[in-house]
Amino acid sequence: MVAVDIIFAPIFLSALVYFLTRGAEHLTKYVALAWFIVLFIISLNWLNQIMHPESYAFPPEIINYIKATGFLPLGEYLRVPAFGFSLTLQIDALSVAMLILTAALLILVVFTSWEEKNQAAYFSLLILFSGPIFGVFMTTNVLWFFMFWELTLVPMLFLVGYWGAEGVEVKKVFNIEIKLPSRVYAALKFFLYTHVFAMFMFVGFFLLFKQTGYWDFTLIKEAAIVTPALIWWLMFLGFAAKLPLFPFHTWLPDAHVQAPSSISVLLAGVLLKMGAYGLIRFIIELMPVTTARFAMWMVVLGLITTLYAGFLAIYERHIKKMVAYSSISHMGLVVVAAATLSYDGLSAALYEMIGHALVISPLFLLAGWLHHKTHTWYMDEMGGIMKYAPYASAIFILAGMAALGLPGTMGFIGELTIIISAVKSFGWWIAIIAFAGMISAGYIIWSIRRVFHGEPSEVVKRSEFHMSFPEKFALAVYAFLIVYFGVNPQPIFDIANKAFSFFGGM
Amino acid sequence: MSFVVLIAAGLIVPIFYRNNIFIAKMIAVIAFILAAYFIYQGNSLNAIFPYFVLDKATQLMEFALLATLGAVSLALTGFERPLIAQMLFLAGVSLGLLETNNFFIYVVLFEVIAIISYILVANIRNFNNAEGAIKAFIAGAVASGIILLGFALFSFTTDSFNYAQMNVSGKFTLIAVAIMLAGIFYKLTIVPMHGWAADAYSQVNHAAAAILSGVIKSVILVATFKAFYKFMIAYPLATILIFSFFAVITMTLANFMALFQKRVSKILAYSSIAHSGYALIPFAAAASIYSYAGVLYYAIAYIFMQTSVFLILNDLRREAGIKYLKDLKGLGKRAPLHSFFFTIQIFSLAGIPLLAGFLAKAVAFYAGVDAGLWVIVLIAALNSALAVAYYAWIIKHIYFDEAKHNAVIKMSPGSLIGQLILLAGTIYFGIVAADVINATVSF
Repeated sequence: MVAVDIIFAPIFLSALVYFLTRGAEHLTKYVALAWFIVLFIISLNWLNQIMHPESYAFPPEIINYIKATGFLPLGEYLRVPAFGFSLTLQIDALSVAMLILTAALLILVVFTSWEEKNQAAYFSLLILFSGPIFGVFMTTNVLWFFMFWELTLVPMLFLVGYWGAEGVEVKKVFNIEIKLPSRVYAALKFFLYTHVFAMFMFVGFFLLFKQTGYWDFTLIKEAAIVTPALIWWLMFLGFAAKLPLFPFHTWLPDAHVQAPSSISVLLAGVLLKMGAYGLIRFIIELMPVTTARFAMWMVVLGLITTLYAGFLAIYERHIKKMVAYSSISHMGLVVVAAATLSYDGLSAALYEMIGHALVISPLFLLAGWLHHKTHTWYMDEMGGIMKYAPYASAIFILAGMAALGLPGTMGFIGELTIIISAVKSFGWWIAIIAFAGMISAGYIIWSIRRVFHGEPSEVVKRSEFHMSFPEKFALAVYAFLIVYFGVNPQPIFDIANKAFSFFGGM
Repeated sequence: MSFVVLIAAGLIVPIFYRNNIFIAKMIAVIAFILAAYFIYQGNSLNAIFPYFVLDKATQLMEFALLATLGAVSLALTGFERPLIAQMLFLAGVSLGLLETNNFFIYVVLFEVIAIISYILVANIRNFNNAEGAIKAFIAGAVASGIILLGFALFSFTTDSFNYAQMNVSGKFTLIAVAIMLAGIFYKLTIVPMHGWAADAYSQVNHAAAAILSGVIKSVILVATFKAFYKFMIAYPLATILIFSFFAVITMTLANFMALFQKRVSKILAYSSIAHSGYALIPFAAAASIYSYAGVLYYAIAYIFMQTSVFLILNDLRREAGIKYLKDLKGLGKRAPLHSFFFTIQIFSLAGIPLLAGFLAKAVAFYAGVDAGLWVIVLIAALNSALAVAYYAWIIKHIYFDEAKHNAVIKMSPGSLIGQLILLAGTIYFGIVAADVINATVSF
């Protein structure tokens, strides 16, 4: 029963917490923290069950099922027999990796938004968000996957639209001039963009069901049909907009910049991963034959995304936008790695997904923190912050180095494995992807030069740099994880080995 | 029995409501509950008259109908009291319309509902109300005439009016059906026969608009599907062409019109028109085995959410004079309960999952895909995604903008209970799909 509870309980929990803590708002964050820690422990336990099913007292048929398919069955709920439809919960190593990442980021987000305004509503929405996001990674029913996918948008709409940055945007729609706060603009754009592209996916899932007669991912996979190109493209569009890939990326800089930093962490660390997870699960695992036909499209789009976003990041003065473009650039690498359709490439993609989440999060947090302290977004107005805030600067530099792929950090192993697997699959020309590393070195080092080194500017001298303990703690955890998995990547590759055994793991 | 209870209550209620609206409300609610109980026992019109059949799907629709009307009657106050008796009559006639298996009775009851709806909108208090009411009346009268013309043509070609035994291969059948549909499309507010609806829904009393746009439309949707099913199977190509054409233009035009409105009630009116467009997709996909499930699900989801939004708007307009979008600014702080219900039902209308609106769209659209109309479904899905623009715009006004006044708007207990009933319906049918789909298996 645990499985279905942790998806639906947050809906009630969030309402309950919101109304019960009307008088004592600061209590909400402790409830949220406790709930996320519970989620984290449950996910870790699931990981253990998948990695070592023998050591648990499962009935033999379940152990055989786990060994044969890699999926740990967690039950079937809300059956509609006439439609062959039910909420099937099953998790494999890939989804568990995402669950652990999600729970860990949620815990850290509580720390980094320790002093957020209007806490009762904020943390209730975070709790509400934890339900559907777990559902996305836990269900193998494609329609329920879509439903949870859509549901994650609702709390995000409010979190970005209400707690986001200040500023006013003037837009012209059909010659009507609309003036609205830029955070609201960003939230609505994010919502509409993903919603519209999700509709393509929705129709794709319907066509898939019509083709095979199953809603469940594992059953569709067993049916092993050659999927028509139409379904592939419809679903690919949905995931590409979420990832985001090159022509569909314009929502991301807006949403990630306007969101409060902690929510940018969730947007980049979890919501983009939904796109990558969907791409691996529902495109590559589900229809490998069709994907092989279009793999080159994925590579080219991924490559364009990586390089184009990298160049945009160099051009950017706005510190958080630079980080946002760097985030897009890294997600392009994930697509290239996934498009190799090989065990190596997918493992590299999984590693890069986790690495991207851990590396980009402190960058977003610090970019937001710097803006909060200096009241400017522009890097050329900052300078010499190292002298005033050595701790924050050190973490920014460490995470920046990881983003550009310094050996000993997660970024290096991610990029290295991706380049190796891509060259193996596509030949030498793909080595041009290594340019991505050079470009990121360009914008990261230059931004460090402009923000942290040199003479302190007037803006910096006027500002006061104070960081609360919970924030410092969260950043230290990020820094530790970046280095730990950079030096010892084996745990993640163990999970990848389990997750991608269908491609002939080691 | 249920029919008798409702009509009897409808006749008794006017004696009480002049002095004490509470007793009138209670009588109405008890009548609705009793009627639901008799329906549950299978003791409805079918127990008395030969032309009525009560199957599982009809039962489910009737429960939704009675629950909604009960919620509406709880939410009414003061000057809206005539609505209570009208709703009771409406419920009785709707049961007949839903249960009948005879085309002649379908047409007659359709006209009776039309007459009740004229009385509903005639709750005139100012010039604007009068305009909406007159438009509804004239459009309805034209529609009645057209339906009767088509029906007259059709009755030449058939010996029996029983749904199962109708002769649908006569010479004039197709043209007769087309003419009848033209009339029915008036009532379903399909573009280009929608002109009256936007004005009528937004200008008459919003409680009446809730019944007009939410309840009556849903009932007519289900009843029409049952009545025309045999025609739709007999003429597959014409069915696909007619219904998908009207579905596409209806939803596209209505969604674009809704984007430019400044009155909240007009946005909701156009959204209601757009929803009629989505609901036509399972009609077009009549060949699919899921088509009836699609229509029924759509009607059930729609009856809850559309009624709810208009009722909340009714409250807001009565208590705080809220009419325009700009009046909604900062409503989240001023009226947290209203805003909460309004937001959830708006999300349901927009098709956000775990709410009835989503599953209804999913089933209806799947019926379309099943019948091979995936292009139409894609257009509809994109339309419903674009519709989020104006729904989210409303929510932006409610939660993200600063209020101009700070007067708090309270929700009356009756209204709260009514909204809770409607919300329960929206959430229940948003999570549990089994009921509706199982009910329609036998069709």
